[in-house]
Amino acid sequence: MTAPYAAPSSDRLARRLARYRAATPGPGAAGDPLPYRASASRDLARRLAAAVDGEMVDGADGVYVRVERPAIDLPVDRGRLATLPGQPPPDRSLVCLDTETTGLATAAGTLAFLIGLGWWSGTSYRQVQLLLPDQGEEGVLLDEVGRHLPPDAWLVTYNGRGFDWPLLVTRYRMMRRAAPAIGGHLDLLPHVRRLFRHRLDDARLGTVERMLLGVSRVDDVDGWEIPGRYLGFLRGGPAQPLAAVVRHNDEDVRSLARLLAHVEQHLGDPEVRSSAPRGDLAGLARAFRRERRLEEAIDCLDAALAADPAAERVLPLSARPIPEEPWWSPRGRVDFGGRPERRRVSTGWDRREAFSRPWDEGRIAVDRAHLLRRSGRVDEAIEAWDALACGPGRTAVVAAIEAAKLREHRSGDPAGAMAAVERGLHLADRRRARGMPEPALEADLRHRWRRLRDRLARAAA
Amino acid sequence: MRTYAPADAATVLGRVLEEPSLTRGIVHHEVIAAREASFADMPAWLDQRIVTGLAKRGIERLYTHQAEAIESIHAGEDVVVVTPTASGKTLCYSLPTLQAIAQDPAARALFLFPTKALGQDQVTEFGELAASADLSIITSTYDGDTPAPIRSTVRAAGQVVVTNPDMLHSAILPHHTKWFQLFEQLQLIVIDELHTYRGVFGSHVANVLRRLMRICAHYGSKPVIVCCSATIGNPAELAAMLTGRPARLVDRNGAPSGERHVLLVDPPVMEPASGARGSAVTLAQRWAMPFLRAGRQTIVFGRSRVAVELLLTGLRESLRESFGPRSRVRGYRGGYLPTERRSIERGLRDGEILGVVSTNALELGVDIGRLDVSILAGYPGSVAATWQQFGRAGRRQGTSVSVLVASGAPVDQYVIHHPEFLLDNAPEEARLDPDNLHVLLAHLRAATFELPFEPGEAFGPAPADDLLAFLAEEGHVRQAADGRWYWSSENFPASEISLRTAAPENVVIIDTTPNRPRVLGEVDLFSAQVLVHERAIYIHESVQYYVDRLEWHERKAYVHKIDVDHYTYANRAVTLKPLEVFAEAPSTGGTRKHGEVMVASLVTLFKKLKFMTDENVGWGPIDLPELELQTTAYWLTADRARDHWRRDDLDVALLGAGRAIQTIASVLLMVDPRDLGLVTQVRSPHAEEPTIYLYESVPGGIGLSERLWQRHDELLAGAADLIAACSCDAGCPACTGPRLEPNVDAKRLALRLLTELGAGARLAKAG
Repeated sequence: MTAPYAAPSSDRLARRLARYRAATPGPGAAGDPLPYRASASRDLARRLAAAVDGEMVDGADGVYVRVERPAIDLPVDRGRLATLPGQPPPDRSLVCLDTETTGLATAAGTLAFLIGLGWWSGTSYRQVQLLLPDQGEEGVLLDEVGRHLPPDAWLVTYNGRGFDWPLLVTRYRMMRRAAPAIGGHLDLLPHVRRLFRHRLDDARLGTVERMLLGVSRVDDVDGWEIPGRYLGFLRGGPAQPLAAVVRHNDEDVRSLARLLAHVEQHLGDPEVRSSAPRGDLAGLARAFRRERRLEEAIDCLDAALAADPAAERVLPLSARPIPEEPWWSPRGRVDFGGRPERRRVSTGWDRREAFSRPWDEGRIAVDRAHLLRRSGRVDEAIEAWDALACGPGRTAVVAAIEAAKLREHRSGDPAGAMAAVERGLHLADRRRARGMPEPALEADLRHRWRRLRDRLARAAA
Repeated sequence: MRTYAPADAATVLGRVLEEPSLTRGIVHHEVIAAREASFADMPAWLDQRIVTGLAKRGIERLYTHQAEAIESIHAGEDVVVVTPTASGKTLCYSLPTLQAIAQDPAARALFLFPTKALGQDQVTEFGELAASADLSIITSTYDGDTPAPIRSTVRAAGQVVVTNPDMLHSAILPHHTKWFQLFEQLQLIVIDELHTYRGVFGSHVANVLRRLMRICAHYGSKPVIVCCSATIGNPAELAAMLTGRPARLVDRNGAPSGERHVLLVDPPVMEPASGARGSAVTLAQRWAMPFLRAGRQTIVFGRSRVAVELLLTGLRESLRESFGPRSRVRGYRGGYLPTERRSIERGLRDGEILGVVSTNALELGVDIGRLDVSILAGYPGSVAATWQQFGRAGRRQGTSVSVLVASGAPVDQYVIHHPEFLLDNAPEEARLDPDNLHVLLAHLRAATFELPFEPGEAFGPAPADDLLAFLAEEGHVRQAADGRWYWSSENFPASEISLRTAAPENVVIIDTTPNRPRVLGEVDLFSAQVLVHERAIYIHESVQYYVDRLEWHERKAYVHKIDVDHYTYANRAVTLKPLEVFAEAPSTGGTRKHGEVMVASLVTLFKKLKFMTDENVGWGPIDLPELELQTTAYWLTADRARDHWRRDDLDVALLGAGRAIQTIASVLLMVDPRDLGLVTQVRSPHAEEPTIYLYESVPGGIGLSERLWQRHDELLAGAADLIAACSCDAGCPACTGPRLEPNVDAKRLALRLLTELGAGARLAKAG
């Protein structure tokens, strides 16, 4: 049995709409009074091409706009680059990619309307930008993007793992097509964060250019303005405001290459590297450690400790507070829409502070001591911890414990371990006396002390 | 009677019926005979592993309704299964799902539950069934609590995805490209607890399903839709309204049931003068005691959280006094921790817990096994919900007892004195309007965001081009040169829609009592006028708050806790103008119509009234702008009534009859009485004739008025019944509404009018 469900006639809906329209204040309240104007894609493409100084490519399946930029000479020693952690193998071609979009969500309704691509031929770096003149022409544009991506090439992006590439994959799927295959993906954002965070205000590409590469942009367009400019054009507005967007994207794609070259030139060669800021070296050590290349990591830290901090030419950080949770942060949740998340209750301990603590000598030395232990250089590790145990603060107590652990379990020296524990207890007492008790560390030390006492007593018996 | 010897429910009932203090209130005692099971064989095409798995769980044959549903789904037909609680509905969709995945591991299914908790129950149960069939099936819940790293696994590998409409709407559909594995292979969509998708929520969900079906078509899948519903009046129609496709109705229950006693109980009149009755809560408690003492598992339903706590305290207290098993009686309501709830559910299943006091939280399909006795302290608001709650008691063998204790509210009194209303097995219909323009347009935005519209492509009943052209004027949508309509805005439209409310604009109520102000709740603009105007007493979960400030343009009301002996009542002046008549027909003594109307509401002053006595202790002005509400309404005119009525009498009669019609309408259509507004006009500026309007308070309406128009005769007869049967002398809040003037017999006048309008025929028949 099926129920007779009589759908209301469509003209009732139409009449409802007419009344709704009459009752609703018209557009204009939203501040964007541009009326829709029908125009053929070719007209749009022609206007767009003229505004951004590009050419209209008119194919059988559709039309798009292409902007070719003069090639620049930008040599990168791929062999040397590949010695760094996380970098692509030297024999793979690289394609730098950056998109401009109509929004920040990688959901189905966000459009990539400008795709900037850059690649090397020899030492010259070439760039092309592909623009979408009308929403109906996306298929042709994506075809053209695919032609620039050889199947074994590595993508080079900035936050492209989380944004640009998934967005493009979404666009291909919207067309019911498979996204082009890629050989690998080098997202420079985590590298920048790991290596240069200590001397950047934030990790935006513009900041990286300014503070790291010494490039400053003139008349740049703010990221938040970009979607509005493009959507305005689509709705019949002027194409001229997009010229700045194209320049912005052009700079972004070039900066990807410059950043890669910067990393290769300043950090690729161990000799040159040793004169890098010690924070860079400490960050690089962590990158090496992630790949279990411990010896290289230790070398980096040795170089960092040997460097003269006074000689460093690092721009001072701006005094402004760290933004709450910047858009690129890996801790930020992806926006799925829906209800805004409830603010998490502060626990009083701010991870961001720990994250952006400066790389001072002590912090580098701690990293080095950990690495020495991990690489099995026990004696050196003990030496490093002993040195730290003579230093200031809570670190000294921790160092004493670490030194005791190594002596007891790795080098079979319970008496030495006992001495280290007693030194640790002494340090903890002093801290307690100064009103900075470390109950957890003290408990650990006391436990260790009792065990070592018994062990020594048994050995004596 | 003070005995703790275990006894079966029939024996205890027998003893109770000898207790005069309890039997005095019994208005009706119905015995529903036991039913035999009717079985069907396992379909031959069912995978052998599933047959074996079922056998391991003690299922050798299927009930007839299960077999019918499964065969239809197998044949690719949409199905709506409607059978009572605990009749094995779950199997109707879990077997086809298992079968689909057993045949092709790439197949996917999507299970939709109205709430998170229900979904989790089903995941467990489905997992157990799959395990006993030796099928390894990845069943994953995808809701707000799913951790981010798990989400990508669910997207790629979840064979059965369990979620709720809100998640589907805001997280899955807008990101459909990340879910392409699901959508390409989707074979089965299960919509459980269909009856909850009504009103505004249902209208939204109907549109979410439209969007879902578009996405499925994009990826080339053609899923079968299986709906499961509790008993309601129009399950097949509801399924068709919700999904936009006809469905085969499976409602011949094959599950066995034991004998059931249904008792309708009215608390005794305490004060004959005012007709005030004893408390339903106290009486429900007294009915529960003998069963608990005899070790019978009993569930008591309270109408509110407060009622639940009162009942629980009372029961434990009485059990303590009589040395009964008080620690085996537990409470259950929203606000309890999930782990606590799980342990109570488990305790009920294995018999560890003897009694539970619950809100309607346990009315939905949470698995608590079958109990012996269910007692309802107050009519839960609909016949369907009553049977859901009754159905919590009912073993497959042996006697079960269901008791409804009425409160003094008009609806309760009407229901309890019309047993045929509950027992004739004609529960209410669920209504929704997927073409409510506000709802439709909001979802059309989201749909365009998800996938561009082809020219001429339908969304709902008709091609969407006109609507899209309207959205294009707003600038969110744009028609490209290829003729398709594309989303062209930075906004994320799904985030602008909340499935649970109709009006996009709400006033947020902020409690400034604690050090850190917190959001207390939200009310729609229309209600905000009368509930949270400045200096109003706003009551939330029986706590009083004083409204310090209402920032109308900010849509914020600031309140603080207060304890006073009065409440406030704002006078709303409502004027109504018909915009279009969708249909009209002559009725006895006049005309009935339904159509679109414009309601203008102006609130100018409020009164302070004392609790209990309703004594007026002051007033104040309210300065708020007039609000307009475009909605649908049902109205009836009393032609020629002006000729032979005194104008004042007619005024009272219209209002009194209107109030009664409003009450009956809310009963018949299973809605909150506040969902329908009432306006009466002796001399309507538009209709010229004396008119009673019932308008829907949801902008655009959700289809209630059309249904009221169709059920005009029942409405009038019911209203006359309600008034005639009321025990008051000249009209009271329970029938014709609060008395405005003394010495006016509203009851007689309203009845006279209703008789003239044609209610008399049935009255005479019934009388």
